Amino acid sequence: MSMEENKIFVDSRGSSCPGPIVDLAKAYRNSKVGDTIEIWATDKGIKNDVTAWAQKTGNQVLSIEDQPDKVVVIIKILKR
Amino acid sequence: MEKKRVVIVGGGAGGIILANSLNQKDFDVTILDKSDTQVFQPAFLYAAFMGKEVPTKKIPKLIKKGIKFKLDPVKKVDLTNKKVFTEGGEYAYDYIVVATGTMSDASTVSGLKEIDDKYGDYHTSIENAQRVWKNLNSFKGGTIVLGQASPICKCPPSPIEGVLLTEMLINRRKLKDRTKLVFFTPYPRAYSAEPINNVVEPIMKERGIQIMTFFDLDHIDANTLYSLEGDQIKFDLPIIIPPFKGAKIDYEPKTVLDDDRFIKTDKFNMRIQGFDDAFAIGDATNIPTSKAGVGAHLEAKIVANILQGKEDKFDGRTNCPFDLGYGKGTFVIGSYDQPVVPYPPSRLNHFEKMMMEKIYWSSLKGTFDFIFNLYFRHTDPIKLNKKFSK
Ligand SMILES: Cc1cc2nc3c(=O)[nH]c(=O)nc-3n(C[C@H](O)[C@H](O)[C@H](O)COP(=O)(O)OP(=O)(O)OC[C@H]3O[C@@H](n4cnc5c(N)ncnc54)[C@H](O)[C@@H]3O)c2cc1C
Repeated sequence: MSMEENKIFVDSRGSSCPGPIVDLAKAYRNSKVGDTIEIWATDKGIKNDVTAWAQKTGNQVLSIEDQPDKVVVIIKILKR
Repeated sequence: MEKKRVVIVGGGAGGIILANSLNQKDFDVTILDKSDTQVFQPAFLYAAFMGKEVPTKKIPKLIKKGIKFKLDPVKKVDLTNKKVFTEGGEYAYDYIVVATGTMSDASTVSGLKEIDDKYGDYHTSIENAQRVWKNLNSFKGGTIVLGQASPICKCPPSPIEGVLLTEMLINRRKLKDRTKLVFFTPYPRAYSAEPINNVVEPIMKERGIQIMTFFDLDHIDANTLYSLEGDQIKFDLPIIIPPFKGAKIDYEPKTVLDDDRFIKTDKFNMRIQGFDDAFAIGDATNIPTSKAGVGAHLEAKIVANILQGKEDKFDGRTNCPFDLGYGKGTFVIGSYDQPVVPYPPSRLNHFEKMMMEKIYWSSLKGTFDFIFNLYFRHTDPIKLNKKFSK
């Protein structure tokens, strides 16, 4: 089975309510196995949320990077 | 100078406030809507869980003299050639503002359409909200499950408000010991934004509501909900908020829509991506704030200012009343650069939510603008976070 692997980019900067976790859940819903999701967020809560989320859903956090103006998270979708 | 033609697609909260805020000396304003009636959507909550009436008003009664209203469903918006195509004809414009809100689409989750048809919901129509009320009243015990079927929910507090009001009703009907109440959510906690979750989650637990987190609804089969994450919930009575999408309207270019048909919009100046003369406001946009009437209101004012030559910029302000049942409430207050305030529950907050219903229709005309401005300044999230955040 061949599947086109996508890169999904999500700009969640500035989202405090409902918050970046909503954008992650949305991207997850629209993703396929093999896709990577890159999220930019200003809400630092994303770091804990994304780790808990990956554990629960069985997906992989490739990196979490703290930059001066944002957090950049990259996730690989292994399970759907 | 000739008047500029402004076409507003959608006569909901945002569209009407914008139309009423434009000076008619410079602008020729037309509102197009597929319905001639506006429904006060926050009242769906009280129709579903308290059996109350939902207020409605005819759109022509809500707009100032001189504004044109056409009952004419929009099929296509051609941003490149500045034309709107409707069932009845076509409209050329100098400026367009899209304020088409959301539409629900139960067909995207297998099994949900049947559930929605049978049990109703409290986000889409008066009839559906009344169905929820009817079911709750004939309920004799068992498991009630309540939650949102997709990550996007119009009025983010409404799922928790629904489950708290259900608990209140079940308690008053003396069915508490025969009822299990389960709340499910795709997020890591009951409310997505953590500061307000810290206020509401303890209340939910205290009232015996079971919370299933990371429950992203995948399908429904034989009275059981299944999540993408592999969990299940069996139920007797489901109250499920269907997924939300943007309106079914074609755009030229197609690229202005995201995967859920929301319009790619600049979060500061509300312009549709790539266009100087096209704007989107309210629930129809993809900007990173809550889908709530307050946003539609503030964004309409921003666009009115920009069109009338004043510089303005949306700060992402949210201000959503949150009913906690038993006469108490809180508010979800935040902005693009301020985290949500952990706003303590009170009776006054609940009273303010009830007042909103009273002043809503006149607020569309701008009658209470000065009170709103005062109120927004008084509840500035920077100030409130200093007071309530630890
Ligand atoms: C249960 C519930 C509780 C809520 N509580 C609150 C609250 O406490 N506070 C708050 O601020 N907000 C609340 N809201 C949210 C609020 O009602 C909406 O966010 C608000 O109405 C959005 O305004 P809008 O102008 O973007 O869209 P809408 O008011 O939904 O208007 C969209 C308009 O576009 C029209 N339209 C759609 N498609 C077409 C087409 N193809 N052609 C022509 N016209 C079209 C529709 O007929 C409609 O009139 C609640 C919502 C619900 C469901």
